[in-house]
Amino acid sequence: PAMEAPPDPGPHASASASAAAPLRAPEVARLREEQEKVVTNCQEKIQHWKKVDNDYNALEERLSTLPDKLSYNIMVPFGPFAFMPGKLVHTNEVTVLLGDNWFAKCSAKQAVGLVEHRKEHVRKTIDDLKKVMKNFESRVEFTEDLQKMSDAAGDIVDIREEIKTDFEFKAKHRIAHKPHSKPKTSGIFEAEFSNDLKSKDLLADKELWDRLEELERQEELLGEIDIDSKPDTLIANGEDTSSEEEKEDQNINVNMMNQVMDSLTPSNCYQNVTNSELFNGQVNSQWNCSINGSNSYHNNEDEEEDDDDGGDNENDHDTLGAEDNSIPTIYFSHTVEPKRVRINTGKNTTLKFSEKKEEAKRKRKNSSGSGHSPQELPMIRTPADIYRVFVDIVNGEYVPRKSILKSRSRENSVCSDTSESSAADFDDRRGVLRSISCEEATCSDANESILDEEQQENHQKKLFPLSVTPEAFSGTVIEKEFLSPSLTPHPAMAHPVLPTIPERKEVLSEVSEGTTKRVSKFKAARLQQKN
Amino acid sequence: MPSRGARPEDGSGLVPTDNSTQHKEDLSSKIKEQKIVVDELSNLKKNRKVYRQQQNSDIFFLADRTEMLSESKNTLDELRKEYQEIENSEKTKIKK
Repeated sequence: PAMEAPPDPGPHASASASAAAPLRAPEVARLREEQEKVVTNCQEKIQHWKKVDNDYNALEERLSTLPDKLSYNIMVPFGPFAFMPGKLVHTNEVTVLLGDNWFAKCSAKQAVGLVEHRKEHVRKTIDDLKKVMKNFESRVEFTEDLQKMSDAAGDIVDIREEIKTDFEFKAKHRIAHKPHSKPKTSGIFEAEFSNDLKSKDLLADKELWDRLEELERQEELLGEIDIDSKPDTLIANGEDTSSEEEKEDQNINVNMMNQVMDSLTPSNCYQNVTNSELFNGQVNSQWNCSINGSNSYHNNEDEEEDDDDGGDNENDHDTLGAEDNSIPTIYFSHTVEPKRVRINTGKNTTLKFSEKKEEAKRKRKNSSGSGHSPQELPMIRTPADIYRVFVDIVNGEYVPRKSILKSRSRENSVCSDTSESSAADFDDRRGVLRSISCEEATCSDANESILDEEQQENHQKKLFPLSVTPEAFSGTVIEKEFLSPSLTPHPAMAHPVLPTIPERKEVLSEVSEGTTKRVSKFKAARLQQKN
Repeated sequence: MPSRGARPEDGSGLVPTDNSTQHKEDLSSKIKEQKIVVDELSNLKKNRKVYRQQQNSDIFFLADRTEMLSESKNTLDELRKEYQEIENSEKTKIKK
C-alpha cells in the first residue's frame, strides 16, 4: 500500500525528505518564496484582466448607443497630446481589429457580439487565474506550517491520521477459528517468555489476570477500540497457551501501552483546541488535532493499519503546526475518490461505475425505504463473518466452503464469463451488497473517510469472489450484488444472525426456511424480475 | 467659442482587495479625485463644453455639463459611503 502523492510535489518531497533527511530551512523558505511569487503574479494578472473586462463593458455600452445619433461632436486626437474638435460620422460602421492587423467592418450590433465573445474569453482566463491563485495560496500556507514545524523541532516529523471512531470496527478481538493455533507473536514477546522462570509464572499470571480484567473494564468504558500498536513496551510476564488469550493479551497490552504512551506524549494540539476536554470522536475537520486525553485514538506513527489498501484514494495532505511540541506533526486525512471499476455483467458486457454513485444510490434507496431492509441482511464485520454467511447447503446441511474463491459449479454456467444476472438488477444488488458490508459503519459520508471506503472495499473484495447468488461462481473477481433474500437458496444467510461455522457440523436453528434447491441463474434472474 | 474640455473620467469600478487598509487607501485617493472633478465641474461657465473620455482610448465624446455634474456627484457620494462602511466595520472589529 503506497501513499498517493498529493498533487503538489513540493511539500510531499519535503515531507518524505523529513523521514530520510532533515527539512532544510533555506529550501523550505525558498519554496515558500516561489509560491508567494506565483500568488502575487496571479494577482497582478487578475487585476489586468479585470481592467480589460471593465474596458470591454464600457465599450459595449458605448457601441450600443452609438447608432442612436447620426453624428457626435468629439475631440479628435491628433497624436498623443493634441486634440481638435470634430464629428464622428457613420456611426453604425465599426472597424474591428481581429488581430494581426486584420480588420473587419461591421455594424455596431455585430461589434457588440464580438465584444461579448471576447468578454467570455476574459472571464475564463480570470477564473483560471483565480483557481491557480487559490491553489498556490493553500500551498503557501502548507509550506509555512512546514517551516514552523521544522523550526520548532528538529528533523523528525510525525505523520498522523485521525481515524473516525464511528468507522472503527466495533468488533471483538479476532478469535481464531482453530482454537489451538498460535498466532505469530513478536520476537520480543517470545524472548520475554524464554526469560521467565516458571515460579514467577503463577504470580505473574494472577497479576496478569487482574490487569486483564481492569483493562477490559476500561475498554468497555471507552468503547471498544481496535488499536494495533507496538506491543513491545508492556509485555505480559506470563505466557498464555491459548491463542485467543495471547491475542487478547497483546491487545490489552497494546491498550495499556497506548495509555502510557498517551501520558508520555505531549499534546499535539492545534491552536483553538483545548487539551483535556475534547474527546475522541470530535474530529471536526481535517485540520483538527490529536487529543491528549486518557484515550487517544491515534496510533503511533508507523502503525497506521488500514489506510492505504484501497486503490484510488487521495490523500489530503494537511499539516498542523505543533505549537509547543517536541515532535512536529503532520495530520492528514484521506479523501476518497470514486473508484471506477470494470465489471463483468452478463452477456459479455462490462460496466464502469463509480462506487460513490453506487453509494449515493444505495443511500437514496435506503432512505426512501424502497431498498432492502437492513434487517434482512447479515452483518458482516470481519472476514470471519464471511465464512459464516456464505455457506452452502448440501443435503439440507450447511457445509462451509473450503475456499470462497473457488468456483462452485461450473456446470451451471452457460457463458464463459459466468457472470450472473441481468444488468438491470445490477444496481439493486450493488446497493444491497453495500448495505451488507457497511450498514453499521455509518456510511453517511463516503467522501469523508477512507476507512469507510476501505471497509467497503475490504468487505466487498472479500465478498466479491463469493457467489451469493445460486448460480455458478467464476474464478474472476466480479463485483456482485447480493441478491435479495427471496432469491437466495440460503435464506438463512439473509438473517442478521450469522450461523456458526458449520465446520463443526452444527445445525442452524435460526434457519426459518431452507431451500436446498439450487436455482439456475436464468431462473434467478426471472424470479428477481418478478419481484 | 473656446471650448474647454473638462474631462471627467468615468468612475471605474472599485477593485476589491484582500487587504482592507489597502482598499481603504484606494478609496480615499479615489474620493479625492472625485472631489476635484465635482469642484471643477461646478466651477465651469455655462457655455463650456464637457467631453467625456471613452475608456481605454483617446476619443472624447461631447457630454452634457449638468448631467456630468450630477453623475460625478453621485459617484462621489457612493465612494464616500463605501469608505464610511469600511471604517465602521473596522471600528467594530477593533471593539471586538
